[in-house]
Parts: sequence; C-alpha cells; structure tokens
Amino acid sequence: MSKFFSLFLGVLMIALAFGSAAAEAPEVILVISFGTSYNDTRAVTIDAIENTIQEAFPDSEVRRAFTSQIIIDKLADRDNLVIDTVTQAMERLVADGVKTLVVQPTHVINGYEYDDLAAEVYAFADQFDSIKMGAPLLSSTEDYLKIIDIIKAEYPLENDEALVLMGHGTHHFANAAYAALDYMFKAGGSPNIFIGTVEGYPELDIVLPAVQALNPTTVYLAPLMVVAGDHANNDLAGDEADSWKTIFKAAGLRTEPVLRGMGEFKGVQQLYIEHIKAVISEN
Amino acid sequence: MHLTNRKSNFFALMLTMAVCLAAVFGLQPAAAASSFVDDDGREVTVSAPFERIISMYSAHTENLYDLGAGDTLIGAHSTSTFPAAAAFLPRYDYNADPEKVIAADPDLVIIRPFISKRNPEFVEALETAGIQVVSLYPEKFELFDDYFRKLALLTGNEETAEQILTNFHQEIQHISDVTAAIPEKQRVFFESTDTNLRTVTDDSMAGLAIQLAGGINVAAGAEPTTAGSSIASFGAERILENADEIDVYISQRGAMNAGGNQHTIRIRPGFQTIKAVQDGRIYVINEKMVSSPNLRFLTGVREIARYLYPEVMDDLSSWQTDTSATRRDLANIIFHADHLPIYTPSSSKYYEEDHSGHVYGMFEDIPWTDADFDAIETIVVRGLIELDETGEVERFNPDEPVTRYDTARAIFISHTFPEPDSAAAVSDLSAADHPAFIQAMADFGIMDLNDGAFEPDRVMTCGEIVDAFLKAQPYLSKEAE
Repeated sequence: MSKFFSLFLGVLMIALAFGSAAAEAPEVILVISFGTSYNDTRAVTIDAIENTIQEAFPDSEVRRAFTSQIIIDKLADRDNLVIDTVTQAMERLVADGVKTLVVQPTHVINGYEYDDLAAEVYAFADQFDSIKMGAPLLSSTEDYLKIIDIIKAEYPLENDEALVLMGHGTHHFANAAYAALDYMFKAGGSPNIFIGTVEGYPELDIVLPAVQALNPTTVYLAPLMVVAGDHANNDLAGDEADSWKTIFKAAGLRTEPVLRGMGEFKGVQQLYIEHIKAVISEN
Repeated sequence: MHLTNRKSNFFALMLTMAVCLAAVFGLQPAAAASSFVDDDGREVTVSAPFERIISMYSAHTENLYDLGAGDTLIGAHSTSTFPAAAAFLPRYDYNADPEKVIAADPDLVIIRPFISKRNPEFVEALETAGIQVVSLYPEKFELFDDYFRKLALLTGNEETAEQILTNFHQEIQHISDVTAAIPEKQRVFFESTDTNLRTVTDDSMAGLAIQLAGGINVAAGAEPTTAGSSIASFGAERILENADEIDVYISQRGAMNAGGNQHTIRIRPGFQTIKAVQDGRIYVINEKMVSSPNLRFLTGVREIARYLYPEVMDDLSSWQTDTSATRRDLANIIFHADHLPIYTPSSSKYYEEDHSGHVYGMFEDIPWTDADFDAIETIVVRGLIELDETGEVERFNPDEPVTRYDTARAIFISHTFPEPDSAAAVSDLSAADHPAFIQAMADFGIMDLNDGAFEPDRVMTCGEIVDAFLKAQPYLSKEAE
C-alpha cells in the first residue's frame, strides 16, 4: 500500500510540476529596465528586483535588457559589462529557440519608454508561441493604492513633517499618473505627501508653495523612481543651487534628502511579481 | 701693416662668426630646443611660434590657456571645457572627417599618441594636407615639465613656462612640507573605479598626489591591471580587511562617473564597517584635478591635503579680523570653515546644458585666474550666496559688504539643524524674506541678538562671520542615511 501510495504521490507531483512549469511559467522572463550607470545602486534595485523575480519563478530563466543606449554604451566602455538592448535580447531569445516569454518592464508609468519597448518586443511576436507583457508599476487603481501603502510604511512621518516624492515626468499623456497619485495620497489621508516631477507636471513651482503652506518642521525628499540614479543624486539631493534640496532649504524649510530607489522596497519587488503572475494567468 | 691689419680684422671676424655659430648650433640651450622629437617619434622643428592651433586633448587646451596662449587656439576637441572660454571654441573630432580640420586652416594640430594609435588615417590626412601635427602625452609626472615646455616652445612662451613651473613645484613642495610636519598621518583609500573597486598605482598621478598631500595609501603597492596602466586591482575584500585603517575614502569621478559617490559607497555590503564611512569622511574628487597632466594637479594635491588634514589646511586665522567683510571674504570663510570640496563640472556637455542660475566660470569679475576662483565658484554653485541677476553679464560683486542675513542664509542652507526644543523670541523676525534663517541662528545660538533684535541688514566683520561658522560646525550637513 505504501509503495502504491508513494508511486501515486510521485505521479501527482510530476503532474503538478508539469502543470505549473509548462502551462504557466514561461521559459524566460525578460526584465526590462531603463538602466543605471551607478553600479552599487543597480545592485540594490534592478539586481534585487531580478533576483526576487527569479526566486518567485524558479522554473523560468530571468534575463535582463536595458532601454537606455547611453547607459549600455557607458557600461560597455567603462566596465566591459555587456547588457542587451530590447531588440538584442529578443534576437537572442529567438536564436535560443525560446517559445514562451513574459516581459516585465520595471518602469513606473505607461509612458513613451513603455510604448517603445512594447513595440520592440511585439515586432518578434510571430517567432514565439506566446509573449505576455507585465504592466509597469503604476497601472491599475490597485497598484496606486498598494504603492501608497508601501510609501507610507517606508517613510513613517509625523503629522507635522512632509514628504515630497520626485517623479521623472514626461510629455506623454501618462504623465497624469503623477497628479493622480498626489490626489490619492491626499484622499487617503496623507495631506503631507506630495508628488513633483523633474520634467513634467506637477512642477517644483507648484509643489514648493503647497509644502510651504503646510509649514512642516521637516521636509523629506525622496525619489519616486525605481533606481536612485542621476536624478536622485543630482536633481534631488545634489549640493548645487538648482537641486531640490537646496531650493527647499533656500525657501527656509528644514530639508533632508533620502536616496533610496523604490526598487529597494520589498513591497515594490513584490508588486512586479504580482504583475507577472497576473499576465501569466491571463489567456 | 695693411695686410696685418686686414689679417687681424679677418681673424676677429672669424672669431665673432665662430662664437655666433656656436651660439646658434648647440652651445645655447634655447636654440637647441627649437626642435624636438614628439611622443609619436616625429621630428618637430619650430621656426616661429604657431598661431592657429587646434588642440585634440583637453589637457593640451588647458595648458595652452595657462601659458597665455589661449588666443592661438582656433579649435579644440569637445572635451575641452576648462577654462570656460575653451568650451566655446569651435569643436573638432578625431573620429570625424579630417577635412573639417583641414578646412579650418590650422598651422598646428596637437594630438596625443592615443589618437594616432586609434585613428592613424586621420593624422595621415592632416599631414598629407601639409598641416604640422605634434603628438604629446607625459606618461609619468616626471615628464610633465618637459611636456609643458614643448607646448611653450610651440607657442613662443618659454619664459612664462619657466615661471609657471617654478611656482607650481614650489607650491606643491609647500603643501608637502606642511603636511609632513603633522605627526599623526591619515590613511587613505583611493577608488579609481567602482568596477571591481580598483585603485591607482603608486606611481600614478593620483598615487603621487596622495604622497605629496601627506597621506598614507592603504592600497600602496597595488599591481596595475595591465602593464603600464595607472589603474590597479584591489577589490572589496581587501578594502574591508583594512576597514579600521581607512581614515579617509576618496573616490575619483569624471566624464565616465567612474568611482562611487557618498551614497553608493555607503550602501555597499559591509562598507558601514569602514572607519571613513562611519566618520562621514568620503570625498569625491574630479579626475581632472588628479589624473590629468595639467596645472590643476596642484589644486588636486591641495584638495587631498584638505580632506586629510582639514584643520591645518583650512586655516581661518587670516579672517579673524575686525575689518568689514566683503562677499569675497564670505566665500572664502564658508569654503574653508565647511571644508567644502572644490566644485568643477564633470560633464563635457556642461556648457551645452541648460542652467537655471549661475554658469560655472562665467563671472565677468571673477576670471578663472583669480586666486579665489575655486572658493567663489564652489560657494555660488551651491547657492550659498545670492546673486544679482539683473545685469546682462554675470557678476559676483566681490567687494560688496555682507549682512547678517546673508550669513544666516548661507549657514541655514549648508547646515542641517534639528528641531529646536523651544523657539527663541526675535523682535524683528518679519524684517527678513525667510524668517526661518534668522530663527535657526537665534535658536541654536549661532549669532547673537541685540536686545532681542537680529538686525538682518547690519554689515558684519570677517571675525564675526568666522565666529558664526565655528558655532555652526556641529550642524554641518552630512550625507543622508
């Protein structure tokens, strides 16, 4: 009986394994990031996201591509580090005979970068049995609510303190995400958390007076970016006159920058895994 | 008699000629130096100073400006951004069509062996077009003087060069003497690139700068990554083995952003155990100051000495006076009191980018040759002194007085004050644009009140400003955790 039982159990396990590996997990999960030339920062953000995804999907191979040619060139020149562009990664997948693919961008919003990489990926659609694309960080309303919870947990604030998150900003219509997130923070009971952007709306000129009106004891500045790279190091926390840190201080506010990319947060890493699971379960 | 006379005249003439010939051919050093062999092995003869020069390397460009030969430059490679005037020269590229260079009709193009190795056909095209090409690069610091003299010879500035070199070496020697007298030596790790955490070799310019600045290199004796390279292997493991020994951590950054910065170094696994990281003594130095063959090497040596021995190198005693302070004084006091690292742009695209406020090197009244250029630029770029932005050209107005509000503002921005236990009463708070500056000075006893009034418009003496900055010292901003 015990022999029969273990045989039965074995068959069941094989069936389960096949079920999850073949029918669900793709052969490859391609994680696409903008990229960063800050090696140490990459280790705690992009590397960490990729590693967490690999742990969550042990039956899939996790591969990497960057969208920024400038960063790819710089890493190749400086560090002899070869990183695929999206097209190179797709060509390699085709050459390796990969048939089932999930692509997960680590981008924050559904902007130009996302549109471009999606077009590059889908150009190879006829050479795969299945390509599925995970959504960027801020896509569904649930995503926004989860990000709000994550940010509140990572940056516990006193009532008389304020937090300003620096987003990238874009001319793409998806730029509305930043103002929406700002609205949702306030609607969710956090009048002291603000979103501003470097290259879009809301601009610093709008955020600064709003923060001043609260007269906070301390303002924390942090990136609403996956990687604390150039923007965080220079535009946010730099010592130059035009950094947000200096501008907030010159406006008479006690200001402290925090250089943590959102990719460092376990909750954010988990959210990408949820996005991957969501597309895998789609038909 | 006649004959004899003639004869003696003849001999006299012959003698004179012989002396002259000797002078011209070989006995006089100045004449011998009018030809030399360049670093590609090319015989170069200078019959007259060159007047239409294109420089294909940023250090050549900078050195020519130092020699006072900036006006002979008709173009430069795009990496030439110091002094600021160099950034506005027409750009030429050795990776592009040589016809563009030929069309500019230069009488001299100065390259370096790297270029002739990489693009031999570019150099060949210039020479075929009859343009004089000279290739120079001092592989070692010992060869710098010789290299600098060749640039001087090409432009007819030999005398200036000798004065500059004498001064350059005297100043370096002075720093060396001062730091040599300090009994407790600081130990340094120098990161040249964050890839595999490499350092520099002992005989590299940066390695030499550490020695000259009186530092002990924790990575002394590190082997070059490839023969002849100034970059040396080291790695995280050996850094961490020496964690207790590293008093100061210096990271070199430049166009390639090679080394880490204060934040990225701090977040590396295990790096919190490094003494310099715990003490907040991580410094980022621009590669142009320590790894490029130019006179800013002196600035680099002084800069490293400041990181190592701030109390000695940033001596404030010359400002502890009762004379009224000018903006020039304020800049110097902030620079030294806060031990601020010198600012210089690292991007070669700096002058192509938009800058909302001041642009480095563009003050009409503070030229790059000003003795306080570095201190003033560093303070202004950090937004610590307000500028009058109404004029058409940028002016710093170095001789204008400094008010108590100016000082309060500078201290507020460059320091981080905690929340005060209680707010001090200040009677004229509303007289200031940003009362927070004044309130903080009163709350933390940085500047005294006069019968409860701050008097923001009152002019200060140098000594009063020094006193305020010394009181503010405990609140100096450190890298955020």
